[in-house]
Amino acid sequence: MLETLIYGLLVGVAIFSAIQSLRADSLLRSAIWLAGVSVLLSIVIYLLGAHQVAVIELSVGAGLVTVLFVFAISVAGDEGIGERSLVPKPLAWALVIFSGLLLMYFILPIKASFSTISKTSLTAVFWEDRSLDLLVQIVLIYSGVLGLVGILAEAKAPLQHSMVDEVAAGRERALQEMEVKAASEVDPTI
Amino acid sequence: MNISPINICLLGVIGLVAVGFYGLLTTRNLIKVVIMLQILVKAAVLGLITAGIISGQLYITQSMAITVIVADTIVAVIGMAFAIQIRRQVGTLDTNELSSLRG
Amino acid sequence: MAAFLVLLTIGLPWIGALLVLLTGNERPKLQHAIASIISVAAGISAIVLLWFTSDQPVLSIPMGSVFGVFTFVPDVLGVLLAVIANVVGSLAVIFSIDYMKGNEQLGRYYALVMFFIGAMAGLGISGSLLLMFLFWEITAFCSYALISFHNDDPKAVAAGIKALIITQLGGIGLLVGALIINSFIGSYQISVFMAEAESLPFNVLVLLAFCFLAAAIAKSAQVPLHTWLPDAMEAPTPVSALIHAATMVNAGVYLVARFFPAFEDVPGWTTSVLVVGMLSALLGALMALVAADLKRALAYSTISQLGYMFFAVGVGAIFASQFHLLSHAIFKALLFLCAGAVIPAVGTRDMRQMGGLRKTMPFVFTVFIIGSLALVGLPVANGFFSKEFILEEGFIYGPIWAYIGMLLGVGLTALYVSRMVFMVFYGESHGDEPIHDGLFWMRVSLTALAIGVFTTWLLAGVLSDLMAQTLPFHGVHAIGTFELAKEIILAPATWISIAVIALGIGIWILREPLAGIKNLMRPVARIIENRLGFEQLNQGIINVTKNLTAALHLTQTGQLNWNILGIVGMLSVLLALLFIGV
Repeated sequence: MLETLIYGLLVGVAIFSAIQSLRADSLLRSAIWLAGVSVLLSIVIYLLGAHQVAVIELSVGAGLVTVLFVFAISVAGDEGIGERSLVPKPLAWALVIFSGLLLMYFILPIKASFSTISKTSLTAVFWEDRSLDLLVQIVLIYSGVLGLVGILAEAKAPLQHSMVDEVAAGRERALQEMEVKAASEVDPTI
Repeated sequence: MNISPINICLLGVIGLVAVGFYGLLTTRNLIKVVIMLQILVKAAVLGLITAGIISGQLYITQSMAITVIVADTIVAVIGMAFAIQIRRQVGTLDTNELSSLRG
Repeated sequence: MAAFLVLLTIGLPWIGALLVLLTGNERPKLQHAIASIISVAAGISAIVLLWFTSDQPVLSIPMGSVFGVFTFVPDVLGVLLAVIANVVGSLAVIFSIDYMKGNEQLGRYYALVMFFIGAMAGLGISGSLLLMFLFWEITAFCSYALISFHNDDPKAVAAGIKALIITQLGGIGLLVGALIINSFIGSYQISVFMAEAESLPFNVLVLLAFCFLAAAIAKSAQVPLHTWLPDAMEAPTPVSALIHAATMVNAGVYLVARFFPAFEDVPGWTTSVLVVGMLSALLGALMALVAADLKRALAYSTISQLGYMFFAVGVGAIFASQFHLLSHAIFKALLFLCAGAVIPAVGTRDMRQMGGLRKTMPFVFTVFIIGSLALVGLPVANGFFSKEFILEEGFIYGPIWAYIGMLLGVGLTALYVSRMVFMVFYGESHGDEPIHDGLFWMRVSLTALAIGVFTTWLLAGVLSDLMAQTLPFHGVHAIGTFELAKEIILAPATWISIAVIALGIGIWILREPLAGIKNLMRPVARIIENRLGFEQLNQGIINVTKNLTAALHLTQTGQLNWNILGIVGMLSVLLALLFIGV
């Protein structure tokens, strides 16, 4: 009973944080509430028994992603846009609540309990059985980095002068200076 | 009614999915869209872990959950990069004005 | 071995398409070389496949429970189609070396042609209805892309879209048929369907028969869905020769021939096929008679000859229809490629501005005459044997009014062919002097096809033998080549038709004295030139489709919120369905 209460509390506060993230007036607060959701969810996941995922969720969700958001928001500007959305709000409400109720109808009757876990360890499963997943993750990270670099590259301005032109311009200037000097040298003698 | 923690977790999944979708339906700011996507993915991770508990295959679902978290972090990174670059080039983050690819 | 050959026949052209695209348009000589060598190799592999025909699947790719098993069954009906596609395809590609010289978009051209060749071979060899539908759609797409190849010409683009819409509407018939078969019998395999066709409820079988017939009519440009083919002559001529004379339009004939044993007991089906064939044969011949554009005349001639094949299937002579398919592919490709040599040489497609080319283009004249001999159906050319065989079978097994109609068609064929030959090659020249008499590679393909005209009828015995072996449901009995030849030459039907042909040619030669009759026919000619109102019907179909798509276009707003609304809406609909189902 106590257990259920704790879970209920944690999940409830998580959903509350999500709603606050939705209704926040500045993007920065939105990101902070998102970090809150992350923290609470990671506690729930830890309590469920998946320790490694909880740690990863905490560090990535509440740490990395939040820092990323703060950085991006500071660069991109914090003003919220006038939230008059195209889809009329009552329609959105209706659809979401309708789907939610139907889903609840399907999910609530699931009679579930903590069943016994098989004996092998996570590392064995992670590295051997799901090695294809690892490959996919590596490819994802690699392409993510490439994408990041590509998207954020400054659009290069076309070079105004090429090297050859610059050298030629320099030589002309030097020639002109010499002529001026020669002219100014010649003059006094006349 | 015997409500076990599993039911609470599943209700939490539904709630977060609802919040995430409602946000996607009604927001116009690109960064907010990415935030709502993150909420949806966290709901999915919670759902995965809960399913792992129910079926007893906790380690497999944990591996999957790790993959999902990596993927969604990359999505957030790319999304933020997009937001920054669009802000620089186009000047606005309003998704309604960003539809130059009209059908 | 057979599996490997099947993969080569379908896969080599596709690999060639990719290679041509990768070499890029800066190296046209390399593109020409790759396309020609690979298509010839694919042609050889298709011919070798003839030795390995069987009625069992040689290659099976299980695709899960939704899509069934994709099998490849190289029975002779399909291998014939594959051989024609690859061999005529390779000759068209060789012709293109000279025809498309200097074009800047060679990569797109060759890639589409080779993609088409592979897909056509796959259409024939596939043993699963769903796989056949997939290849059917690929050929339709390639045909559309090649018709509108000169995409800065609005006429070409409009013709391409017209062809696409009409053939795709037919393709819906094929898909619906495949889905119905799967839901009643539980498998997409053609062999399973043929074995269990009687177990289907009667009205379902009728629906199925007419769905497939609709698909065949649309694809083979038969009456009433025939107007896309003359307009499709905006395509480059090798494309017209390959797609719209020798291969893609044969897919409809192939469809009705393959499913004939399953549908022959459906009342009215064989009669419909027969009537469609006869109407197309007559209508095509009539319109070829008044056509002024050389390629359009050949297109109408194609419609007419396909009508003969449909007629043959309608009376139950499957072997005759396939034999004529082979002959027609060769001589029609020959005629189209000759047109492809003549038209760039004189700079116009209008026959009224040609004339007297007999002296200035002797080589092309010779091969054109050879092709015309086959089209008219004079002895020694392959067209004679196949057409007479069809007429003979029609005489024995079909209703007499149909036979008389087809005989009339034979006479009209002789008439319009004489007209074509005369307007282009005889008389005085009404236009410019031709700048060449067929360049080197053009001559290579034309010679190969001309030799084919004289020799492919010898394969009749082999073909009927293979059909008897590999088509368990069709009941074809084998007949040797010379036996067949003797039978044809001695049949009374043959003598009647030769008399009609002589009459046709005679009418043309004696047209000055018969000018009085010509004036009487003038109002009729005007009605025929307005295409008998079918154009309005087909254009109406096109307009309805275009308006529908314009209306649906409004739902693609490009706004994020509306798209998400679509997703969430779909989700709730699915959940509601599940809820109701529970």
